[in-house]
Amino acid sequence: MTPTRTVPIPAFLRRNAWDLGIWLLLVALVGYYTTLIPSFGDFQMASISKNSLPLVYLAIGQAIIVIAGGIDLSIGSQMVLSGAVAAQVMDERSFVATLILGMIIVLGGAVLNGIVGWVVNVSAVPDIVVTLATSFIWSGMALVVLPSPGGGTSPGFRELFTGSEFGTGTNYVNSMVMIVIPMVLFVYILRRRRVGLSVYAIGSDRNAAYLSGVDVRVAKIWSYAFGGAMAAMAGLATMAITGIGDPRASVGANATLKSVAAIVLGGVALTGGTGSIVGVVAAAIVLFFLNPILSAKGIDPNTAQVMEGSLIVIVMMIAGYSEHRRRRAT
Amino acid sequence: MSTTLLKTTGIAKRFGPVVALKSVDLEVAAGEVHAVLGANGAGKSTLVKILSGVFPPDRGTIAVNGEPISVRRPRDAMSAGLATVFQDPALVPDLTLDENFRLTRADLPSIRESLARFDLASLDLNTPVSEIPLETLRLIDLARALSLDPQVLLLDEITAALPADKAEHVFDVMRTQRERGRSVIFITHRLDEVIQLCDQATILRDGANVATLDPGAGGHDVLVEAMLGAVPERRETKRSTGNARSDGAIALKAEGLVSGDHVKGVDLELHAGEILGVAALEGQGQERLFELLAGDRRPHEGRILVDGSELRARSPYDAISKGVVLVPADRLRALLPNRSVRENLAATFYNRITSWLGTHRDEPQKVDGAIDRLDIDIRAQGRVRQLSGGNQQKVVIGRWLAAGFRTLLLFDPTRGIDIQTKQQIYKLLRELADDGAAILMYTSELPEIPQVCDRVLVMYDGQIVNEQDGPQATEQSMLSAAHGLQSAESDA
Repeated sequence: MTPTRTVPIPAFLRRNAWDLGIWLLLVALVGYYTTLIPSFGDFQMASISKNSLPLVYLAIGQAIIVIAGGIDLSIGSQMVLSGAVAAQVMDERSFVATLILGMIIVLGGAVLNGIVGWVVNVSAVPDIVVTLATSFIWSGMALVVLPSPGGGTSPGFRELFTGSEFGTGTNYVNSMVMIVIPMVLFVYILRRRRVGLSVYAIGSDRNAAYLSGVDVRVAKIWSYAFGGAMAAMAGLATMAITGIGDPRASVGANATLKSVAAIVLGGVALTGGTGSIVGVVAAAIVLFFLNPILSAKGIDPNTAQVMEGSLIVIVMMIAGYSEHRRRRAT
Repeated sequence: MSTTLLKTTGIAKRFGPVVALKSVDLEVAAGEVHAVLGANGAGKSTLVKILSGVFPPDRGTIAVNGEPISVRRPRDAMSAGLATVFQDPALVPDLTLDENFRLTRADLPSIRESLARFDLASLDLNTPVSEIPLETLRLIDLARALSLDPQVLLLDEITAALPADKAEHVFDVMRTQRERGRSVIFITHRLDEVIQLCDQATILRDGANVATLDPGAGGHDVLVEAMLGAVPERRETKRSTGNARSDGAIALKAEGLVSGDHVKGVDLELHAGEILGVAALEGQGQERLFELLAGDRRPHEGRILVDGSELRARSPYDAISKGVVLVPADRLRALLPNRSVRENLAATFYNRITSWLGTHRDEPQKVDGAIDRLDIDIRAQGRVRQLSGGNQQKVVIGRWLAAGFRTLLLFDPTRGIDIQTKQQIYKLLRELADDGAAILMYTSELPEIPQVCDRVLVMYDGQIVNEQDGPQATEQSMLSAAHGLQSAESDA
């Protein structure tokens, strides 16, 4: 009964079981994939890590907002907007210029979505309604900035995300580094810095957080700002992979749903307060990875979509049921 | 003997139409342990929340060391030297202890020192708060509050449900603060603690301070009397039956019910034809007990027998089908607020399979019967939401009249209801009991019990500590028992 004596390793395993499980699932899927295709090498590694970048970024952003007790239905539209703006302003520019522009876009994404967080605070309208509305603003703006797919960026900027100036190749180091950097950064911010802890706190028990002196409104705005920054990163990554901007709203809507699926699979409770970025990153890669696996199995994309959706429903049911059990226990 | 450390003048607060605090003047000297006492609804917790910055007062001033301060957020209170330990610890459940301390910029060495004092030195600070028992959390929260080195430490029912050895640590802290010339505001239901520990006690009644006295001087009776005010002569009540108790068959029986920390072993027998009252201070497990009996939750231990057969409810539906129905505290939760009176009364029929094929045949008659019997004012035909509280409550009771039941559970049925409707409800309950229904009623208004109930059970800390004859019970005798003073006049 007393929590005073804990054996370190089992407790660590127990508390991080979901993260470990999802990483093991990823490893298992990679192992399985190698048996499905004739040869598995650097090219496949590069393809998987590079192409999962946008979803990884979106999932990290969505995870932070959901951990804080919200949800952002506009995160995919923000990605589309950022990609469109980037393709428009970066075309024909030098690497240094595109790098600076990229940073400005990420900062801009943070500021814009921070304002959305502020709107949620002052309006007291549920997050889901506010962000559904803002999603139309962002997708509309994307089409204003870039009416049809086009634009471009510097080869160096493409190489930064994809490991190749042409967006395709066998170098997987760059894209893996680009996965690891935000993951480590946000694990540090969320678990070690006060601002990150306050994000967990308002999602876990807003009242307790308030009573212990946390500024719950500022924490909410930060969660949206982090989410907006990651959505902008996702837009940059998409543009770097394809080489052009794509302003279609359907791309954003689809991406939003996948980001929610990824965080649920990654162990983030939709009720807020729990979950870790480490699990979410693995879950986003797993979710992306289902595409090549199912196509290697010869399953047509439509059926694949049905399977993907069913999988998400099952995961949500398991997560929901265990949450229900936990609440009933006390 | 010493200077005033904290002084409030004319603190007032209302929530919509409800006046929580009329005007509170509180004066706490340096080096003083000051109790704030009062019955349910007297305004204790509102006062604590204002002093802690949970919400600002409507009127009134707060001064620390003679300096007026503005407390609009919890942080304001902390920086003014007021630290509070709330009844529910303000620790975030999904973070570890260490993360919680980091979040609030708490002084870790100081916390460790306090934890060592509380025999918690070996506590692993990397444990998530959700895995730590509540009683330990209270002490941890206290350690965190102490790390702020507060001028005034506010303890809101910290010793409720705290075992004696742990409560002793709290008392020790209170004494130390006093020796250091700091003040403690202590809110508790345990009068023994007040008498032993407190230098002064301020009594609140109906949102105002009515007395400040030295609790050591007078003993329990003086404190209880001050809380109740001038005890009004007990209204003579006309109860239709002399001694209905124990005559009827046992309609509902609970054996050793346990549910978490809330209900810790409750046995009770409810007979057909009797009205059994439950009296308790807030948060003694009565909510949970009613949830268990109504089938809203399953007990962790023990069993519930309805007419001799065990109730193993998966949902309230199972209890209802055995004739056990609940009138909950929150009326609108039990109603379909945007539907008409008629639809609400008929809602309990919807489950019957025959109603799938259209209107249940006798539905209109039963609904009319309920409306007549309860004298529900149905001029407001539209929505139940628009009815007065009293009429809403009648609709809740009326739907069970229409549907039929054998055991009626009522949780604080007359809260916020005018006196006339109250009388109608009392009369109706008595008629129902005379017709053979078994009725269990919790009420926060103690004067109702001698008027309405045949017997009364007093709950304290998750257990039934006392049973009294209903008509003979006095507010004083029930309040003493409800404060855990078991020895004092246990059976009137």
